[in-house]
Amino acid sequence: MQRINGSLCATALVLLMSGLGGPDALSAKERSASAGIPPEKVAAYLYAVIKADRTVYTTEIVDRLQGKGIIMASEHWEQENALMLPAQFLHHSSKLVAESGSGIRYRLISLWPIYRRNAPASDLERSALESLSKNPDWPVTGIVTSGRKQYFQAIYPDLAISQVCIGCHNSHRLSPKRDFKLNDVMGGIAITIPLE
Amino acid sequence: MNPARAPSHAATRWGLQPKLILAMLLVGVVPLIVGLSLAFWQGSREIQTVNGENFKALAEEAARKVDLLMSDEVARTSRIAADPAIIRELEQRRDALLDMTEDERRRAMDRLQKGWEAKEPATVQTITGSHMAGLLQEYFSGAKSEADQLIPQVVRSATKLLYITDLEGHLVASLTAQPPLANKNQAWWTGAFHQGIGQLFIEDVHFDERVQTYVISISLPIMDRIRYEAIGVIHRVIDAKEFFSPSLAPIRFGKTGHVMLIDHRGIVVNCPILPTGLPLSDAQLIPLVTPLHPGWVSAPSDGHGGTSTSIIGFAPVPETSRATNGTLDKGSWHSFVWQASDELFAPIWHFLTWMALFSLVSVGLMAALGYLAANRIVTPVRRLQAAAQLIGRGELHEPIDIRTGDEIQDLADEFNRMNRQLEAAFAGLTDQVTIKTQQVESLLHSTDQILDAVPTPIVMVDHNEQVRYINRVGRDSFETILNGSRDVPLFDLLPVDTATRERLRTEFTCVRSGENAVVAAATEEAAVLSPIRDPLTPATDKADASSQQEIQIGPRQYHYQWFHLAGGNQGGDRIGLIFRDTTDDSRLQEQLIQAEKSGSLGTLTAGIGHELNNPLFGILGLGEAIEEEANLDRAKSYARDIVQHGRRMAATIRDFTGVTSRESSDQRQPVHLEQELDQALETLTGSLNPSEFMIEKTYAGDSCVLALPDQLRQAFTNVMMNAIQAMKGRGTLRLATARTDSSIVVTIADSGPGIPKQYLSKLFDPFFTTKEQGEGSGLGLTVAHRIIKKFGGEIRIESQEGSGTTCLITLPAIPLLLPPQEASCSESTARSAQQPSSS
Repeated sequence: MQRINGSLCATALVLLMSGLGGPDALSAKERSASAGIPPEKVAAYLYAVIKADRTVYTTEIVDRLQGKGIIMASEHWEQENALMLPAQFLHHSSKLVAESGSGIRYRLISLWPIYRRNAPASDLERSALESLSKNPDWPVTGIVTSGRKQYFQAIYPDLAISQVCIGCHNSHRLSPKRDFKLNDVMGGIAITIPLE
Repeated sequence: MNPARAPSHAATRWGLQPKLILAMLLVGVVPLIVGLSLAFWQGSREIQTVNGENFKALAEEAARKVDLLMSDEVARTSRIAADPAIIRELEQRRDALLDMTEDERRRAMDRLQKGWEAKEPATVQTITGSHMAGLLQEYFSGAKSEADQLIPQVVRSATKLLYITDLEGHLVASLTAQPPLANKNQAWWTGAFHQGIGQLFIEDVHFDERVQTYVISISLPIMDRIRYEAIGVIHRVIDAKEFFSPSLAPIRFGKTGHVMLIDHRGIVVNCPILPTGLPLSDAQLIPLVTPLHPGWVSAPSDGHGGTSTSIIGFAPVPETSRATNGTLDKGSWHSFVWQASDELFAPIWHFLTWMALFSLVSVGLMAALGYLAANRIVTPVRRLQAAAQLIGRGELHEPIDIRTGDEIQDLADEFNRMNRQLEAAFAGLTDQVTIKTQQVESLLHSTDQILDAVPTPIVMVDHNEQVRYINRVGRDSFETILNGSRDVPLFDLLPVDTATRERLRTEFTCVRSGENAVVAAATEEAAVLSPIRDPLTPATDKADASSQQEIQIGPRQYHYQWFHLAGGNQGGDRIGLIFRDTTDDSRLQEQLIQAEKSGSLGTLTAGIGHELNNPLFGILGLGEAIEEEANLDRAKSYARDIVQHGRRMAATIRDFTGVTSRESSDQRQPVHLEQELDQALETLTGSLNPSEFMIEKTYAGDSCVLALPDQLRQAFTNVMMNAIQAMKGRGTLRLATARTDSSIVVTIADSGPGIPKQYLSKLFDPFFTTKEQGEGSGLGLTVAHRIIKKFGGEIRIESQEGSGTTCLITLPAIPLLLPPQEASCSESTARSAQQPSSS
């Protein structure tokens, strides 16, 4: 059930690292067809990078600058000359990844999303979030289908790593849950890899 | 006071009252104007700031409201997009399309396109009557909504179009038949589908031909069930005005204040005043009000066609702007809060108007109060001024009654005190003046009385020889001449001959020019220096000075004297003329002289007769005896007696003649008194017994007088001889000289028996003697008296019977001689000493 196409995974990883477009991906696909990397690993790699980027941004940029009073992070950062929130950082980078055409997508989901679009879209996502909130140590993975299309999905827990996260979620007027604490599981990062 | 200057001075002069009022007005008005200006300026600024901040806050609030509105709609649309049935159908459609070849797709599409454009019921039915269209209808009508998520009526009516396309942009479901079939090239479709990734796309306001109105649109991608990729787009076209108006139009403040919604191009999305789709009237305003942060600006125009300075608050619609035209940098919506300047600044103008009104009232009040205050100050000052004028004229009789309780009252009190003191001083002065006037009058009266009582005429003449005053005696004397008129020239008054008149006029001129002193002095001197005339000595000079001072007026003889009367302050000097009627005096004097002459001659002849008779009778008797005497010896003895008698007679005659004859010699010279005394004494004391006769001398020393030494010695000899004879050769003779400032007193005192009192007054009479017949001629003291008198001295005899006689001779001293003069004095003394004493 959790078998993955290794060549695709490798392609996705290369694409993610290099940021190159579709034609290169195709040639890479051919080159690395022999070497199979399970999609769990690809997702794990991706997650490591996503998490590292987001953590660097959160601690070294937002927390540090905000702590020194140099600049604040705000949801409407464009209008307020502020830093984007760490969650927005992830959304935007995710959008860039999607626009790159690599096929790999990832997004933040939560059982208590501020915006409805970030609610779990599938049963897998919902059940994964529920299980992650109880046991955040391991990601939940699975194959999902859309019509005839199949995708590998890995859902990693997303913790409240910074005061910025819980500060926003606990005070946002659209937030359905307002009692997050540091290191609580606020939701998950769903990484989707097409299996075609 | 210059009367010509006074009016011009008064024209430019400002009284105390207007000055005070002006000062109060200035004090009040200047700060008022400054305060009003500052208040207006500050008020305008603050109104701008406050309103700007308010507008900004309002704009933010409106933007949030729009955002919520849009979010609701997006969420509502998103619910449709998330419908599993729709997703499933679109997934199937996607998969079906994947199975079809390009040609098959195109052919099917063309067929559908024709049918849709031709509005073939079958074709239309596949779109508007499909299952998905049914779902849309259900969502749209609210049938699928939760009980608490009812679609508001406004949303339903504002939604003009609602349809779904597949991933190829082909219309798959719609509420109406108006949408086009192919939408792949539509901007909203491309934006929302976003290469399969999908994103919210909100279209800016634009005119939609199909619905014939200005619309906005919301396009949402319909993602597959795992939200991996877009499989279709749901598109919703909303009438902008209808959609936003219910939310924004009610936000009104004042008459013109409102909120509107514009996009980044300045196109009005919604405005209660401007129609939707119209750009802002001033393009320059757009960049000012469309930054990506909230704020307010004092703009040169209002965007509604007005060009007055406007305060505009603005704020971007935050969440919606992120989706307008796909991303924030492709467009944004902004709220715009504005109020007409007239209305905005109305409060400050209102305030200013009221303040101006109050200021006017205040100025009026100030003027009125200033007038009252000035009046309150000025009235007592004017009263004081009037009082001061009255005091100046001495007419203030009532005390000034000012009860202001301040410095002016103190001043009034001071005025009163001053006035009292002045009155007291004036009263004293008036009394004194009255007294003095009375005194002067009584003095004048008494002077008149005195002058009238003077028995000689007195005439006062002014410089012009006009008679100014004549005393009573004068008036009586010159009555016939005066004829009742007093003011006549002096020389009309005095009818004298021309020569006398000339003399008088000369004297008058002298006296008038201040030489009266000289005249008077000369006259006086003449009177004093006139020698004492011996009655026996014939007068040698008849025309003496005193005869010059006499005039004959009518039958009477007058002695007159000029005197000068200094005029003092009031008038010019006056010349006085005193007349003394000497008509009777002259007669009496002549009679007196005659009597004196006869009297003296009688005494003289009796004396001479007496002195000469005795020896004469002796001579006669001896002569007769010689005639009868035969004895020659006896006859010779008789003859010797006759000779002796004759010699006695000769001595008597010599003595007598000596009194008078030496007066012709008048060569006075400085004489040493003590030496003369000593020489006189020497000639007298030779035969005296020094044991019985003592002489005491007490000389002051070096006493010189101006005299004839022989005569002076004669006088001393005569006096001392009397003294020695009185002592009869026994006793003490004291000689003394004493000097005072102007005279020398010679004292010759004896210790004789003294002189009986009854003889004292006759001592200097000629031929008066107490001696025995033949011992003295009775001329000694007479001679001495005359000599001393001649030298300006005095001789006085003091005697008390039984205690001696003292003769005091006073002679005018000449100043102490300096050595050469002293030598001459001694010389003269020596010379005189050589002359033998004749007594």
